[in-house]
Amino acid sequence: MTDIPETAYANRLTTIPLLLLLTTALFTSCSRKTDAGEDGKVTTLGSIEVTAQLVEIRGRLLNDPLYDYAHVMKYKVLQVHRGNVDKDIIYVGHYNPAKPRDKVADARVQEIGGNLKKFRAGDIHRMALEIPIDDYYMGGIINKYFQESKDPIYWAVWTNKVINTDFPY
Amino acid sequence: MTNKKIQIVFVLISVLLAPLVQARQPPNVSVGGQGDSNERAAQLAKEVADKGWIVYAARSSENGTWDLFLSRPDGSHRRNITNTANFEEGGPRFSPDSAKLLYRRFPRDAVINHDLWGFQGQLIIADANGSNPVVIGGDREYPWASWSPDGKQMACLTKRAIEIVDLTTKQVIRRLPRKGIYQQFFWSPDGKWFCGVANTAVMWTIVRMDVATGDTNIIHEFQSCTPDWFPDSRNIIYASRPPGQPGGNGYGFTQLWAGDGEGKHPRLLYGEDGCHIYGGALSPDGKYVLFTKCSEDGGGSERSGAPICIMRLEDAPTIGGESRDLRRVHPITKDGPVLQLVDGWEPYWTYVEVGAEK
Repeated sequence: MTDIPETAYANRLTTIPLLLLLTTALFTSCSRKTDAGEDGKVTTLGSIEVTAQLVEIRGRLLNDPLYDYAHVMKYKVLQVHRGNVDKDIIYVGHYNPAKPRDKVADARVQEIGGNLKKFRAGDIHRMALEIPIDDYYMGGIINKYFQESKDPIYWAVWTNKVINTDFPY
Repeated sequence: MTNKKIQIVFVLISVLLAPLVQARQPPNVSVGGQGDSNERAAQLAKEVADKGWIVYAARSSENGTWDLFLSRPDGSHRRNITNTANFEEGGPRFSPDSAKLLYRRFPRDAVINHDLWGFQGQLIIADANGSNPVVIGGDREYPWASWSPDGKQMACLTKRAIEIVDLTTKQVIRRLPRKGIYQQFFWSPDGKWFCGVANTAVMWTIVRMDVATGDTNIIHEFQSCTPDWFPDSRNIIYASRPPGQPGGNGYGFTQLWAGDGEGKHPRLLYGEDGCHIYGGALSPDGKYVLFTKCSEDGGGSERSGAPICIMRLEDAPTIGGESRDLRRVHPITKDGPVLQLVDGWEPYWTYVEVGAEK
């Protein structure tokens, strides 16, 4: 073991709290960053635009390169920006949700995207939507709410992440 | 019990169980060995050789693209009937009178997606031997076009609806809600039904739709696709990957099944552990089954297809190869001969003599 001189100890004693303070300040600053998820796509694509909280992802998100599908997720509507949404709880089909939204467009579904990287229950999304899903998407749909809700399913055209806005969630 | 009585009981049990034991033994493997299997396949080849023609897509050795080929069902008299270096072709279907051939044409080097091909490319209708091809629509138009029984109309599956289109005027003469059907859509020979793959409680469900009313009923739920009609319009052939298979690291293997139009009496036609069976179609008299056998899931349209196979329907269920897992689920099989032809994709059969040289 090597002895450490007293001056080095003194330096450390002042440096460590300073670093901690800086780190805390940095995190506080980051946590104050907000993003309402607004961009040129989400505000223009689709006929409906909402900010909504992802309440639940029922079932496993499949990531099978051979097969495409839409997975229906449950949302609580926080704000309607465009169009008519007459319920607080809506069901939204997301195409190949294991993929980040900016990588999801393909031969089957071309007009789709957003900045959301990963779907997590509790997160808030700003989405451009269409309804009903069958008019805009033709492919396999995993709908674990099939038995309990007969509401029409929304189709997610554009999905952006919302960060730390003042929604009461 | 005396020794004599025990002997009698033993003989009786043996006699009763003998047919069962025999049925469990795969002839390809243990009854006659490979030689016997080849002999029986050769016999099947002779049997089908003069039964019309099959058409299918395959990679051309001349230009490397997907072209359409005609051959006798035994694989003889094979010839390329499109031979287009600048296009890929696939999904051929003879018209009900076998005078015409409907297929899709894609740009060169386009990847033909096993699920999307009915939406991709242009619809072409040619003479049954491939001559006089006519472009019916633009890119992605008339998706999943399927012949009407009289060959004068076609049914198409679009996002908004099922559309019945008059082939002469190209006018949509009727629209029906598609009721969740999303691909592989075919009109029955008697004109009364459609079949397709749909979302119901679960996706990948085979359904039948009443053309008159638009009502649907489930034929088979869960991991099932590529349905097609038996000539009697009462039964449907389809591919299915049942759950709970240990093979393929639990992914399982796709098998060929059939069921009646009411969704009852599902039955295995052909399966083989290690292979995914797709492209199921019946001969015009319903006596033979066409299919493809691919080591990878999807049927091989993204690559070079898979071996085209023919078996007798009366030999169903047949299990190929050792297939220990599958034989455990289906212990009683007939294991008839399977005639294996060249690699191809989506084969279709007519008994009409369409294969005469141009």
